[in-house]
Amino acid sequence: MKLKEIDRTAMQAWSPAQQHPIYLATGTSAQQLDATFSTSASLEIFELDLSDPSLDMKSCATFSSSHRYHKLIWGPHSMNSGERVSGVLIAGGENGNVILYDPAKVIAGDAEVVIAQKDKHTGPVRALDVNMFQTNLVASGANESEIYIWDLNNFATPMTPGVKTQPLEDISCIAWNRQVQHILASASPSGRTTVWDLRKNEPIIKVSDHNNRMHCSGLAWHPDVATQMVLASEDDRLPVIQMWDLRFASSPLRVLENHTRGILAIAWSMADSELLLSCGKDAKILCSNPNTGEVLYELPTNTQWCFDIQWCPRNPAVLSAASFDGRISIYSIMGGSTDGLRQKQVDQLSSSFGNLDPFGTGQSLPPLQLPQQTAPQSIVLPLKKPPKWIRRPVGASFSFGGKLVTFENAKSQQQPGIEQQQQQRHHVYVSQVVTEEEFLARSNQLQEAVQSEGFVSYCQRKIDMAQADFEKNVWAFLKVNFEEDSRVKYLELLGYRKDDVRKKVNMPGSCACVKCFTDGYVDGLITQTLLTGNFESAVDLCLHDNRMADAIILAIAGGQELLSRTQEKYFAKMQSKITRLITAVVTKNWKEIVQSCDLQNWREALAAVLTYARPDEFAALCDLLGNRLESEGDSLLQTQACLCYICAGNVEKLVACWTKARDGNSPFHRSCWLS
Amino acid sequence: MIHDAQMDYYGTRLATCSSDRSVKIFDVRNGGQILIADLRGHEGPVWQVAWAHPMYGNILASCSYDRKVIVWKEENGTWEKTYEYTGHDSSVNSVCWAPHDYGLILACGSSDGAISLLSYTGDGQWEVKKISNAHTIGCNAVSWAPAVVPGSLIEQPSGQKPNYIKRFASGGCDNLVKIWKEEDGQWKEEQKLEAHSDWVRDVAWAPSIGLPTSTIASCSQDGRVFIWTCDDASGNSWSPKLLHKFNDVVWHVSWSITANILAVSGGDNKVTATSDHYTRFAMFLEPDEN
Repeated sequence: MKLKEIDRTAMQAWSPAQQHPIYLATGTSAQQLDATFSTSASLEIFELDLSDPSLDMKSCATFSSSHRYHKLIWGPHSMNSGERVSGVLIAGGENGNVILYDPAKVIAGDAEVVIAQKDKHTGPVRALDVNMFQTNLVASGANESEIYIWDLNNFATPMTPGVKTQPLEDISCIAWNRQVQHILASASPSGRTTVWDLRKNEPIIKVSDHNNRMHCSGLAWHPDVATQMVLASEDDRLPVIQMWDLRFASSPLRVLENHTRGILAIAWSMADSELLLSCGKDAKILCSNPNTGEVLYELPTNTQWCFDIQWCPRNPAVLSAASFDGRISIYSIMGGSTDGLRQKQVDQLSSSFGNLDPFGTGQSLPPLQLPQQTAPQSIVLPLKKPPKWIRRPVGASFSFGGKLVTFENAKSQQQPGIEQQQQQRHHVYVSQVVTEEEFLARSNQLQEAVQSEGFVSYCQRKIDMAQADFEKNVWAFLKVNFEEDSRVKYLELLGYRKDDVRKKVNMPGSCACVKCFTDGYVDGLITQTLLTGNFESAVDLCLHDNRMADAIILAIAGGQELLSRTQEKYFAKMQSKITRLITAVVTKNWKEIVQSCDLQNWREALAAVLTYARPDEFAALCDLLGNRLESEGDSLLQTQACLCYICAGNVEKLVACWTKARDGNSPFHRSCWLS
Repeated sequence: MIHDAQMDYYGTRLATCSSDRSVKIFDVRNGGQILIADLRGHEGPVWQVAWAHPMYGNILASCSYDRKVIVWKEENGTWEKTYEYTGHDSSVNSVCWAPHDYGLILACGSSDGAISLLSYTGDGQWEVKKISNAHTIGCNAVSWAPAVVPGSLIEQPSGQKPNYIKRFASGGCDNLVKIWKEEDGQWKEEQKLEAHSDWVRDVAWAPSIGLPTSTIASCSQDGRVFIWTCDDASGNSWSPKLLHKFNDVVWHVSWSITANILAVSGGDNKVTATSDHYTRFAMFLEPDEN
């Protein structure tokens, strides 16, 4: 599927894989002339913006140079060190010069973009390649078997890989090995390919197919296998791609005969070693698998021959092809629809010509129609087999219950050279996700406890293990739940132990005379006793603290017995004028009153007795009172004793008392008495 | 080569798909593995499978390099093809069923840049809506947002059919994560999330646990995994946070049911599980050791 188009006749170079966003550099090609026959040259940088659906590519910078180029490559040198943010553009010029440009400066629009240049070669520099491993090394090849290895850090003096091959001939292609950094291959149009070892500084092997004559136009090493490479032939009599393995270098391993006319350029994808692009004079761009020889894909092009084809290092599905009709097209091999693109082309042409007849006959041209015979499919089929970068090798997904499903594909040993039998073990693992081991252990323990019903011990363990006080408390409570007498134990846990409290309370009893307790303390103590249900102590405390009202009220709540005791204590404590009376009323102890009352208040005493005394003790009490009055009181009171005797119903005493009282008037009163 | 393995809703069945063009279904109860079905119908490697919600029956969708999406259904114990969609121009890379509240809707992302939504309208009929040019040179992953309105732990108690706003996220080869929203029956691009510098390989919308935030995880060819969070319910401001930069391609991200663990698989057969979204790695599984 065609993504973009640039109208230039130029050699192209993609920015390195580390560079983002993706740029395409184009340098005016020295080999082709465009329609205007202009000899001006420029170096341009375009940006590949895929979010823009239009066909045009955004031009970021233009630099008009004095040279035209045979070859352009973009290396990542100094990108990591930050010195040159976008790497280095290396151009091979038509006058034997190798020029280094700084693309970052070109994009920025600086005037000084040339880093260095050197005119070492004798003829046009047609072949250039950057070493993958040591990105400061660039190999260049020109006429007369000249090959120079340039060090970008020390550009002045290049090295040679060895003695020049004889006979001297042009170098059309040069390529560094993709696996081994000191191996370099160079090819010349006569079909002779030399492989150089830079450590030994000499050629190690010369490959040439003696049976056929091929005009070598393309050379590429296998991305994965160090000893394999392909050579492409431009000769129309032998339009083949030969796959060579250097271990068996007398004849090619495989020959791909997919083109009908000579091949102009090849490109091997770094992302997937099964994709080899080739473009030829039959106007086809084919993507084939060099390992098996089959054609995977044919790019739909209806343009002229392409002379340069490049994979984009960063985006493995994108490639660019420069064609003789003055256009560079960017394609994607992932397929897609070309409907939109065709329409655009039609529109473009229509608008250029307009509908007016250019010859002035006054008649309008019929609307432009597409030639029917080419009718390409509007749907572009993608590659038959998905490229490596789309195949997902590993994955994981979660499922219910904490299960994790993972799958991986174990790598197999590749058998180089022969058909690869990939014995891959495919495994899907279902595993339980355990994020916190400790948690799992704890839940296991719990499980056990539940099953064995050993709750108490489980809780105990938890208490021991708990670090926070809160946790300890929680577990202690839970534990108590499983024990008997839980309520008491809960209380204990809360800090209120009945015995303790009792002890505390008894203590103040022993030192009641020492008023060292503040109100707050006693309050607290009272609270504690109440909370543990110990009314007695509470009452005691209240009494000690002179909180009489509290004490009595509590005593009421505490039961009858407690109440009476409290009353006693209260009365013992309190001494007011009418305390005695109150005491007597409450305790119903009239004897006491009678015995100990002040005789001046005999009336009150008698009244009380009359009101409250029970029938059985009434008489006795009155008697008692009377006796007292008689024995203790003065003469006035003695007479009052009689009244008591009357109340008591005690006749003898009454008579005796009366007699005593009425000593003088005895006969008169005796008669009154008798009646 | 196996390309995907997914367990169904209850965790009793496992569906796997592979480059040998087959989809296999296993019964994995109690640790066993019994092959129940071997589904053939694709003409190219099958990239992904997705189980639909069990309320619709036993339904499985698969998508493949042969540009087809096939929906399989189990009837009376046998699995059969119930629908085949061939409307894409190139490899279909991802399928994802919408939350069951929306009905039976399947989103498919393809390498031709389009995303198509297949809705089951009943009686064997499927309706297709296509978003063309969603991601310029290909869409690699689609993931639906959960059906709850963020912030509500329970469903609407009113009893009427709530107005859901259907949303899903997609990741593509243009390095973008896009969020799509349905408005008046049309799907519109709501947000464009830019943070990756290479192809977005997978996106996963975290399941909702009632919190008012929405979270999306995205992983990319450049080895980075980003967690995007949006705090407001209208879904307008997404902020990325780099979870980790791995040394190799990250292929897949997947959330656990409670959205507290993210499984990240990438590079050369490495699976990492990350919990709490942001901080440490809980485990680093090397499946070779299992």
